[in-house]
Amino acid sequence: MSKGLAILGGLVAVAGVVMSSAMYTVDQTEQAMVMQFGNPQRQVSEAGLHFKMPFVQDVVYYDNRALDLDPPPGQVILNDQKRINVDAFARYRIVDPLRFFQALRTEDHLRDQVGRVLNASVRNSMARNSLSDLLSAKRDDIMSEIEQRLASETKDYGIQILDVRVVRTDLPPEISQNVYNRMRSERVKEANQLRADGEKAKLEITSRADRDKVVIIAEARRQSDILRGEGEGERNRILGAAYGQDPKFFAFYRSMTAYKASMGNGDANMVLSPNSDFFRFFSDQTGTQQ
Amino acid sequence: MSWKPQGGGGPWGNSGGGNGPTGGGTQPPDIEEMLRRSQDNLKNFMPGGGNSGRMVTLVIAAVFALWMFSGTYRVEAGHQGVVMLFGKHMPTKDSSPGLNWFFPSPIGKVFTPNVETVRRIDVGFRGSVQNTGFSRSVTPERAVLAESLMLTNDQNIIDVQFTVQWKVKDAANFLFSIRDPEGTVKVAAESAMREVIGQTNLENALTTDRQMVQDKTRESLQVILDDLKSGITILQVQLLKVDPPAQVIDAFNDVQSARQDLDRKKNEAEAYANKVVPTAQGQAAQMLQQAEAYKEQVTKEAEGEAKRFLSVYKSYKAAKDVTTQRIYLETMEAILKKSNKVIIDQKNGGAIPYMALPELNKSHGGQK
Repeated sequence: MSKGLAILGGLVAVAGVVMSSAMYTVDQTEQAMVMQFGNPQRQVSEAGLHFKMPFVQDVVYYDNRALDLDPPPGQVILNDQKRINVDAFARYRIVDPLRFFQALRTEDHLRDQVGRVLNASVRNSMARNSLSDLLSAKRDDIMSEIEQRLASETKDYGIQILDVRVVRTDLPPEISQNVYNRMRSERVKEANQLRADGEKAKLEITSRADRDKVVIIAEARRQSDILRGEGEGERNRILGAAYGQDPKFFAFYRSMTAYKASMGNGDANMVLSPNSDFFRFFSDQTGTQQ
Repeated sequence: MSWKPQGGGGPWGNSGGGNGPTGGGTQPPDIEEMLRRSQDNLKNFMPGGGNSGRMVTLVIAAVFALWMFSGTYRVEAGHQGVVMLFGKHMPTKDSSPGLNWFFPSPIGKVFTPNVETVRRIDVGFRGSVQNTGFSRSVTPERAVLAESLMLTNDQNIIDVQFTVQWKVKDAANFLFSIRDPEGTVKVAAESAMREVIGQTNLENALTTDRQMVQDKTRESLQVILDDLKSGITILQVQLLKVDPPAQVIDAFNDVQSARQDLDRKKNEAEAYANKVVPTAQGQAAQMLQQAEAYKEQVTKEAEGEAKRFLSVYKSYKAAKDVTTQRIYLETMEAILKKSNKVIIDQKNGGAIPYMALPELNKSHGGQK
């Protein structure tokens, strides 16, 4: 009885061990490859519970997600002889674990190998373009060209290139310094231009104001002269009309007024002849002399 | 008892299996321990038989119930439960906030990533976020020039610092599509920003096109992340600092001050013009008024003079000779009354008239 139970217990234990060796799970983020004594047998891309031959088969897991590849930046000479530092990165996915296993085996190996291919593709594609191409809508074309080149060169590695992006395109320090110098001189030019513009605007505005002033005064003078002339003309007309009625009397009357006005205040020294008309009655009561 | 005889870490059990994104699995009870205990119980029970057999069955049932109960998990508000059966994602079992149940480990596994929190990535600087009441402010603490310096379309260099705000849109994609989602967002954001800045001129990037740069970068970044099925939605790309590089910023500031000089000079000139022209207009008005006054004056005076003459003339016409004589005499009288007079009869005397002009002048001056 107890011996039978011990056998039963042993069988259960053995069955457990065998079962545990025959079952394996593949996570949603993984894919797997079943190996028999180190030889790849089949690949499993479906997540979940799977079975294999116990003990003789092993499972190797690979990531199923988008993976990143970011090789160190490299220097590229563009076709306008400008040198730039380019930092590119790629996203890829392992789509064929068997091929991946055969070609690269590990991700470290991939980083080294494919990273080098990526940098070479970047160099090749960029060397045929100028810096202004990189800084334009053509950048997309260049990136997709790099992507295609990388994809075709790595097609035997069991990976799919999802995306290649050029992160940084920096100028080397000495070229940056040139750019800074240029930027500075451009700004100095602009500042000088602005200041000169200010001087110009100032002179324009003030001289226009001065001109306006002169014109306004001159116009006022013109009009006031016209007015004064009108006044004087009117005066002549009025007086002419009045005096014209008897020019002789006017001459007499006006002379009298003028005499009085010019000599009537007592500052005149007069040398008179007794023969003048005023003294007519001096020597002759009748006044008939002369 | 391991489900996975070899290969680095299983999908559950030890944390090495998932170098995946955040989101905690449930803590399973130690299943091996439980099984060993039940086996021990089995051994103890076998020889005894009878009553203890029921005991053992009960214990096993209790352990099983406990194990099943350990499948209960809670999804916090703002989180989402992503459920996996033997490592395979079961979209239909995904759960929303609240208390849920799924097969406990090692059969099931649940991630509960936060899908509401707005996450932030800084590019060009490392900063800290302050939560001051309702507003969040970002304080740049340390600039990272390698990230922030970029080339503009006119081949100038510009210093750009920005933050990207994003959150999880699709929890399953977020967990299963990309190995390093945060790093991917960052690199993609940098790439997108550099692309957009590379197509913008320095002057525009510094001034008018900031909004455009933000919008275009956000769109472009979203496209990149969607292509990777990242399950991430970009809420905002926010430019914090867009400046010329530190090496040349003084020259740019000088341009600003030159621009202000220009305005100042213009204003000064305008002020001068505003003073000069109205003054001249005032002077002109004054001159016109004076001329007008002169015209009126002269006219009126002439009218008066004419009237006066006409009145005299009228009286003269009535008695011509007498009036003439009278006017003549009155005038002479008025003149001679006040004047110094010397009367010399040239006809009778032969005296040479000698006039002591200085004497006269003296008396003249004395009179004054």
